[in-house]
Amino acid sequence: MALQTYVQTIARTLMEEMRRDERVVLLGQDVGRRGGVFLATEHLFDAFGPDRVIDTPLSEAAIIGAAVGMAVHGLRPVAEIQFADYVFPGFDQLVSQAAKLRYRSGGAFTAPMVVRMPAGGGVKGGHHHSQNPEAHFVHTPGLQVVYPSTPSDARGCLQTAVRGDDPVVFLEPKRLYRASKEEVPRDVDQLLPVGVGVRRREGDDVVLVSYGASMRETLQAAEALAQQGIAADVIDLRWLMPWDQALVLERVAAVGRVVLVSEAPHSGSMLSEVAATIAEEVLDMLEAPPLRVSGFDTPYPYAQDRAYLPGPNRILYAVQQVLDY
Amino acid sequence: MITDAQRFQPFSEEPIRLIDQSGAWLGAFPCDLDDATLHAMYRHLVLARAVDERLVLLQRLGKISFTASAAGHEAAQVGTAHALRVGRDWIFPYYRDTALAIAVGWPLVELFGQMMGTRADAARGRQMPAHPGSRDLRIFTVASPIASHLPAATGTAIAQKLAGAGDATVCTFGDGATSEGDWHAALNFAGAQGAPIVFVCENNRYAISVDLRHQTGSDGLAVKAHAYGMPGYLVDGMDLLACYYVMRSLLEAARDGLGPALVEMTVYRYGPHSSADDDSVYRDPAEVAAWRERDPIVRFRRFLTARGGWDEAAERELRAAVTRTVDEAVEAAEAAGPVPVEWLFDDVSSRPTPQLERQRERFRAARRAAGEDVAD
Ligand SMILES: Cc1ncc(C[n+]2csc(CCOP(=O)(O)OP(=O)(O)O)c2C)c(N)n1
Repeated sequence: MALQTYVQTIARTLMEEMRRDERVVLLGQDVGRRGGVFLATEHLFDAFGPDRVIDTPLSEAAIIGAAVGMAVHGLRPVAEIQFADYVFPGFDQLVSQAAKLRYRSGGAFTAPMVVRMPAGGGVKGGHHHSQNPEAHFVHTPGLQVVYPSTPSDARGCLQTAVRGDDPVVFLEPKRLYRASKEEVPRDVDQLLPVGVGVRRREGDDVVLVSYGASMRETLQAAEALAQQGIAADVIDLRWLMPWDQALVLERVAAVGRVVLVSEAPHSGSMLSEVAATIAEEVLDMLEAPPLRVSGFDTPYPYAQDRAYLPGPNRILYAVQQVLDY
Repeated sequence: MITDAQRFQPFSEEPIRLIDQSGAWLGAFPCDLDDATLHAMYRHLVLARAVDERLVLLQRLGKISFTASAAGHEAAQVGTAHALRVGRDWIFPYYRDTALAIAVGWPLVELFGQMMGTRADAARGRQMPAHPGSRDLRIFTVASPIASHLPAATGTAIAQKLAGAGDATVCTFGDGATSEGDWHAALNFAGAQGAPIVFVCENNRYAISVDLRHQTGSDGLAVKAHAYGMPGYLVDGMDLLACYYVMRSLLEAARDGLGPALVEMTVYRYGPHSSADDDSVYRDPAEVAAWRERDPIVRFRRFLTARGGWDEAAERELRAAVTRTVDEAVEAAEAAGPVPVEWLFDDVSSRPTPQLERQRERFRAARRAAGEDVAD
């Protein structure tokens, strides 16, 4: 099997899903002839034509809102938002329409759809090409949120998302689009169930919990800890709503120390949610308070693009603190 | 004073044009600009193109992370700039408006400082390249999200109306921007308020790869003004003087309380959408070549030459001076040095939150623990 990058895996998986089910349609800016600005929809326009791969006007409200209407009419739309930072003109459609349709109609109408968006920093893009807006979606009942960190996970989660019955916000770590390569199986189903995380490493000294692009630095930190004889248990959440509470609580209760890592701003974040749940559920099993290593409560800066990211040094510092507690 | 002959016809079929390809004046009124003004306009065209070429080069050298070339848009932007009263009127530009920023006097050292994210950037290295802004020049700092600046531009124009000092606002954007909800919200509100604002669409017929046909079912963009109760003008955006005179008359009308207008300037971007784009996938090279034939700089130079007072020697002198100016600005912007790491924590709000203060302390401690120099 040849190595496949993250972004090639997205394109390849969409190709397979569109072949499998003719109700699957794509819509977004530049997804057609251009194949997407990151090439996440490369070759699909040639394969399926302009009726199933729709180049839209420059309006995220139109993209997400139209996806809701298509879903109601029986299609399985996969919308692309060019950068997660540009979801906001379409935020109302996602939050007010997609997320609440099932509830407000008493289950009569549903919006099975996927809204894909590249997220995250470290690409010298400044604050409108680097954000991690997952907390907004996690905080919106009715949406599922997923942020896979590897090509194979992206494939499995995308299959699940496209075939599911709910609106899914599908975040893709653009920093890893080309940097992350794997042998990825083709043409076989490999659905990764909603809300199930995965242990990337096993260890008894400290638990590291992360997801998305930050998995990379988290695993680097775990490797550095291993060199020092400290065994980290590393959990990749994959899904942020619903998230794998059972796995996290089980490991944290067993180990007693936990550090949470994500590049999103600190306050009101996904990590805050996980930390609060740990405190509520397994406080008496903890040897140290849960620590968050995150982005800051600032817009994403340009010049200090790298410093903003929670790199291995900041993770190691937090681990030292929970170990010394 | 604008004479009646200088007023223009809204919603015309053909673009308004004042100089033809050979440089001949087509206007129904005489060009009332003196040599100094015309030569300053020409200098801005040449300087903007030189800056543009340098930015492409700096990007290739890895000194800046991104460029969005304005080549092909210069006449629209420089014409607009010269119609403004700099420092009084407000400008709400978008990322492709480097020539506009240069022509209203954005210092080149600041420009290159912004592009490189050095201490020479007045915005302290906060944004990616191609995001101008200046408090002195009343340039509302560019934000990347398309059309997000339009409602704010309308608000500023309403405030100008309330202040009653006869100032006006210019707001620019691309053709793709006309699809965003914010675009419609802003024009509608401006129309309802009779706000003193001129909306300028630099229509290069592409939003990255999406051509105008897929952007809208509308036959052109100027016509959209009609529904918002304002006149819409179609202008040859590669004709500097057409852009200048239309903008001058509309800004005067706005100052006189006649309300907003929309101007569609037909331009073309010669390069890819940005340094991250490959336009060969969606554009025919023959189309690009055909538009380059209509180059706004060549056309304006022919006009100057035909008029007298511009010759080969003047041209040579200008080109040499422009190269020197650009060299010096790049050097100074680079020499200003990188911005300090901890600047990333400043300017979030009027006063840092206790949460952010704590984050900053922990950040510093982690850096110190890792043996980094935290002095900067
Ligand atoms: C809200 C939003 N959505 C998407 C983008 C990504 N994007 C950047 S430029 C661009 C095309 C803009 O085209 P146009 O408005 O015609 O201006 P041009 O670049 O052609 O001058 C797109 C889609 C963005 N910046 N903002």
